[in-house]
Amino acid sequence: MIVRLIIRRMFFLVFVLLGLSIVTFALSHLVPSDPARMIAGPRASKSQVEKIREQYGLNDPVAIQYVDYVKGVVQLDFGTSFTSRKPVRDDMSRYLPATLELGLYAFLLSTLVGVPLGVISAVKRDSWIDHISRFVSITGLALPVFWLAIVVQFFFFAKLNKFPDGQRLSADIEPPRRITGLYTVDSLVTGQWHIFFDAWWHLILPVAVLTYGSLAVVTRMVRGGMLEVLNQDYIRTARAKGLTSNSVIYRHALKNALLPTVTQLGLQVGLLLSGAFLVEMVFSWPGIGRYAVDAIQRTDYNAIMATTLVIAVIFVMMNLVVDILYLFLDPRIDYA
Amino acid sequence: MTEQASTQEPIASQNDATLANGGAAPVRMGASGSQTRRNLHRFLVKNRLNLAGLVIVSLFFILAIFGSVLAPHSAYQQDIKHAKLLPPSTEHWMGTDELGRDVMSRIMVGARYSLQVAAVVLTFSVLFGTLVGAVAGFFGGLVDEILMRFTDMFLAFPALVLAIAIAATLGQNLTNTMIALATVFWPWYARLVRGQVLAVRERDYVDAGRSIGMSNTRLMFKHILPNCISVVIIQMTLDVGYAVLATSSLSFIGLGAQPPTPEWGTMMAAARNYFRDAWWYTTFPGIALTLTVLAFNLLGDGLQDALDPRSSRR
Repeated sequence: MIVRLIIRRMFFLVFVLLGLSIVTFALSHLVPSDPARMIAGPRASKSQVEKIREQYGLNDPVAIQYVDYVKGVVQLDFGTSFTSRKPVRDDMSRYLPATLELGLYAFLLSTLVGVPLGVISAVKRDSWIDHISRFVSITGLALPVFWLAIVVQFFFFAKLNKFPDGQRLSADIEPPRRITGLYTVDSLVTGQWHIFFDAWWHLILPVAVLTYGSLAVVTRMVRGGMLEVLNQDYIRTARAKGLTSNSVIYRHALKNALLPTVTQLGLQVGLLLSGAFLVEMVFSWPGIGRYAVDAIQRTDYNAIMATTLVIAVIFVMMNLVVDILYLFLDPRIDYA
Repeated sequence: MTEQASTQEPIASQNDATLANGGAAPVRMGASGSQTRRNLHRFLVKNRLNLAGLVIVSLFFILAIFGSVLAPHSAYQQDIKHAKLLPPSTEHWMGTDELGRDVMSRIMVGARYSLQVAAVVLTFSVLFGTLVGAVAGFFGGLVDEILMRFTDMFLAFPALVLAIAIAATLGQNLTNTMIALATVFWPWYARLVRGQVLAVRERDYVDAGRSIGMSNTRLMFKHILPNCISVVIIQMTLDVGYAVLATSSLSFIGLGAQPPTPEWGTMMAAARNYFRDAWWYTTFPGIALTLTVLAFNLLGDGLQDALDPRSSRR
């Protein structure tokens, strides 16, 4: 039964992806009043613009343009970057792993710290740890991530000179052989420990900054969910029948409190990917966020739209994974 | 822009009552004077965070409206020769920037841009989102399906990323920032209001209204929407903070307000280049922005607790 449900989700995914492509298509083909003029640049002659219009099929009916666009995107053809003069696909494969590495560790860290912090602060309400967790969850949502990045960079790089500024590895270290593109993973697999530690050294600050906002959301959600569950009748029953406090918390309350937060984990991915734009920019981290910001400053439309689409697809896929995970975790789901 | 609110049960259900007074829906718009005062006392005095939020929000509004009058110096007047990057002093409380402009005055004047964007974005988002959500929820069926799938298209993107893409396509100025942010904010209201309407339309007083021959429009505006309003207000309060934050983020990237506009994000983008020598230049706009967002969040949370006692946010 669960397989059928997964297949159904996959079927819906096709529609979501179509929706995404319509939005990015509309943005890149319909919104600029004259995309050909954009591509050609302000100094191009009329005939040059006309040539580009013909070359990019901009004289075709909109429906045909859309079909062409989707055909290209399915084959991962996002066109050529106007600035790097290389296919956007090549740029993507170069910069995406850096963002994924950043996002992955921020996601893990915010979950691994946020969940226990939320649970403990709900169980030990008004204790010092609860105060810390509430401080984190209030400030984490309000602190502009780019400002936090600047401040952290100021203290740890400029003042203390303890951490490197930008880049994924020190200048004298060669990247490991590409397996996943994540330096920490690749260096571990190939046993190159000096690269592994150097990569971590460079990751610490940007990951810490990116984690903070997401940590706030997770902590707040878990704390709220846990408090609600702890007030339920069955918890009182469990306590009344003489179960130990730990047994009540870990066997009865925790699972029910955490289930709803699983669905929110997908949204976290969106938060982290958006944050990556700003964090990468401040830390000169060579990921697709910084790539996109550079593209924006040079009005490189193909690059901007490709980044947007790739990020949205990652977001949608992660949400699908979370949905499927939820199916396995929650026995109450109706399979009908 | 959290999804939490949409998953909660509608607040209107607390106001469940029958059609007692001539078919008026049980909306408690104004309680009696003493009760209002008691509620206000509980809201502000019992919970100091609410009070802090309210004070900062009021300050923000005052700055946004009267900032240019209250500012001790001009926000634009340059003095590169004598006043370049001066640290905080009695003359310039928050120091000066690379062109010798007073940072505090620029922050004060800059509040206006944040409020302006937030106001326009949220007005549009609430009106349009409510319209879409209400129509979808009220009519259901195919209309609901089409409208909500349309809404989902926008929700499939991480909000800030879509806003960046839209603003980048339209061009770099504050108006386009507003359009970009409105495009990513409204779908949340559509979803929120649809959920509310779905629950409220099943209530007895709506059935009663229908049975005495009320038109759909009248039912919607007099009886259904007023009972959805409190969740929208809570969400709006929280979203002012997020809109201010998003505006500054876009400006920081170079998309929103352009120099010499004293928008906070634009200021920080410039200040970033001087952060080693002039800590005050980045620090104060950052604090202003953080406090503003924080205050709206606190106030939104407080309102949520007050208006929706069953909420899990504590």
